[in-house]
Order: sequence, then C-alpha cells, then structure tokens
Amino acid sequence: MNILQRIKNAVRSRSIHVAYVDVGSCNGCDIEVLACLAPRYDIEQYGIYVHNNPREADVLLVIGAYTPGWEEKLAMVWEKIPAPKAAITIGNCPISGCLFDRKGSFVDPPVKKHIPIAAEVPGCPPRPTEILQAILSVRDTVFANWEEEHP
Amino acid sequence: MGLSFVWYLREFVRAEWIKKFLFARTAPLVSPSYFRGFPEPTGKTCQHALFCMMACPAPGAIEVVHAGDGWIPKIHKGHCIRCGLCVEACPNEVLTSGRILETMEREGTSLLFSFRIAIDKDLCTGCGNCCTACPVNKQADAQMGAGGHSSNDEVIMRVQEGDIMVIHEDKCTGCKTCETSCPNGAIRIARILEGYQQPVQEGIQ
Ligand code: SF4
Ligand code: SF4
Ligand code: SF4
Ligand code: SF4
Repeated sequence: MNILQRIKNAVRSRSIHVAYVDVGSCNGCDIEVLACLAPRYDIEQYGIYVHNNPREADVLLVIGAYTPGWEEKLAMVWEKIPAPKAAITIGNCPISGCLFDRKGSFVDPPVKKHIPIAAEVPGCPPRPTEILQAILSVRDTVFANWEEEHP
Repeated sequence: MGLSFVWYLREFVRAEWIKKFLFARTAPLVSPSYFRGFPEPTGKTCQHALFCMMACPAPGAIEVVHAGDGWIPKIHKGHCIRCGLCVEACPNEVLTSGRILETMEREGTSLLFSFRIAIDKDLCTGCGNCCTACPVNKQADAQMGAGGHSSNDEVIMRVQEGDIMVIHEDKCTGCKTCETSCPNGAIRIARILEGYQQPVQEGIQ
C-alpha cells in the first residue's frame, strides 16, 4: 500500500458522514441517535458527522419497522448514496418489528430484506454508546481499506 | 484594550488548551454497571416456572429452552426491549439485569401471577377437551377420560351434565394448554400480573 493510499484511508475513516432515515419508528430510537450528537457522547470527536443528505452520506442509519409508505422509497435512498457505503439498523424495530409486528399491523420487517444491512443494533431503544460502537465497527471494516478490497 | 487582546490570544497558545482542543475525549464507550441491559443468567437453576415468558410484553423475546438436563431462559436480542419484567417475575432469581434484584430486595417488591379462566358458554359445546388436556387436572385425577367427567373435587374444571364447570380456578398455572385444545376457541386464560410491595417498617431492615 503506497503512502497516498494510507493517507486516503486514514482521512476516509476519520470522516464518516451519516444520514438517518426513520421508516416508521416510535421516535424512541430517533431520540437516542440525537443524543449521540449532544456533548455527552459527541460523535464528532470520532470524525462522524450528520448530514442527512444521502448524496453526501457514507453511512445510512435506518430506524423503524418499515411501514408501507417506505416501499421502494428506502431502496431509492440507499441507491443515492455513493460507494463506499454501509447501512446500519437502529433498534429492535428494523430487526423484528419490535412491539409493532402484531397480527393486523402493516409493518414489514426486517429491513434487511429490502436493503443490504452491514450492522444491526438491538435494543428498544439502544444506548447511544451502542449506536456509536456499531458505526465505529462498520468504519473499521467497510471504510478502512475500501480501494484495496474493491479494485 | 491592546493588552487584553494579547491576553486573549495568549489563551490559545497555552499547551494545555492546545492539547485539549486536539485530543479532548468524552467518557469512554462503556455502559455503567447500573444500566439495565439484556437479562443475564445468575447461575441459579431454572425451575421451568415460565413466569418470565408470561410477564414478557415483547413478542418472541424470551424462550425457556432445554440445556443439558435442565432448562435455561434464552433472550432473543432484536425482540427484547430490556424492560426487566422477566427478572422481576422469576421466583428463583435465575436472571439479572442492572440493579433490579438489589432494588427489589431493598424495596420489598415482587410480582405475583394469578389466572382467570373465562369460558364463553355460547361457544362451548361441553366436549371436555380442555379438562382432559389440562396437566393440573391430570395430576389431580389421573382417571379422567375423554369427555372430561370426573368425580374428583380437586380438578380445576370438569364437565357436569354436558356443561363445563370451573371449580378451582386458583390451581391454574397459566399454561394455556386448554386454549390450544379447545376446538371452538371457547376457553380463554387471562394472566393477571400484580405488583406487590411489602411495607418497610421504621427501624427494621
Ligand atoms: S426499537 Fe423500540 S424505541 Fe426504537 S423505534 Fe422501535 S419501538 Fe421505538
Ligand atoms: S427484559 Fe422484558 S422484553 Fe426482554 S425478555 Fe425480559 S420481559 Fe421480555
Ligand atoms: S391454563 Fe393450563 S392449568 Fe390452567 S386450566 Fe388451562 S390447561 Fe389447565
Ligand atoms: S374444549 Fe372448549 S368446547 Fe370443549 S368443553 Fe372445553 S371450553 Fe368447552
């Protein structure tokens, strides 16, 4: 690996831009994602920034149990993100539908059958530290050496 | 004026300030010990009371499964909402999470279960399937045959003159076997969960 590539990798893994999309949650997980931005957890110290624009994003946080209104739309958002990219689901809802996946409800979990998911963070809601850890682990596996692995 | 401006700029070349500016970190990414995480086993023996499964509000979150020659509650992440009700409900303290067990001991709280058997007389045909399926009935009266007739007064319910009669509702363990064996969906078991607190007396621990 030449020095230029090393610098590129180092810079890339210190500059993760996050977009989040709520596909039908109770807002509990949204609040925990919000808490990551606050000084108590302060995600910018790890080089993670929230932009909420898929064209600028590296990581997509998916929150919620996938309501019918998101059919096709979520895949569209996912396709707009330029590679390298990764999607992380936050909370129980995108994994199992949590308490909403009952008889007669219209939600369609898990989200991973609609778009490829790199990591899942269980919990209702998960702690901000758990969300952060997931983003950091994805950073290390997906973004650290992307060009070498995708020639 | 000029001096105070220099003084102000001087703040930014202090080694301590520069170090903080470049390397400041908030608290490390660990959960505090009191955080109510996913329930963990304490190592005590599971007696298969199934109170954890009855208390759990999240569909598919907890299952008591075979492990060796005993039983063990298994938590499914992605379903469990970490409410801690299973920890509180277990009479044998098999699970723990955060400081729930300590708090329960300090405050003298407990969760008690009781069960109500509701039979819709309009749907019930008096077939007696529920009576013969019930495991508690089986223990009380091993002779009970198809039809659910019994001369034993210790059974939970029996069929009398073509009609179902509930005698000992208090003996029901809430297993819901009767519900699944009823061909008409006539019998329903309601699980009632009550929280109790022992009053703490002054001076007595
Ligand atoms: S996982 Fe729980 S907190 Fe998060 S959106 Fe679903 S119900 Fe709400
Ligand atoms: S903590 Fe709550 S949701 Fe999780 S298994 Fe126990 S009772 Fe169910
Ligand atoms: S719930 Fe179980 S114990 Fe209770 S009446 Fe039905 S079969 Fe019997
Ligand atoms: S199984 Fe159903 S229909 Fe038959 S006696 Fe019991 S409640 Fe009535």
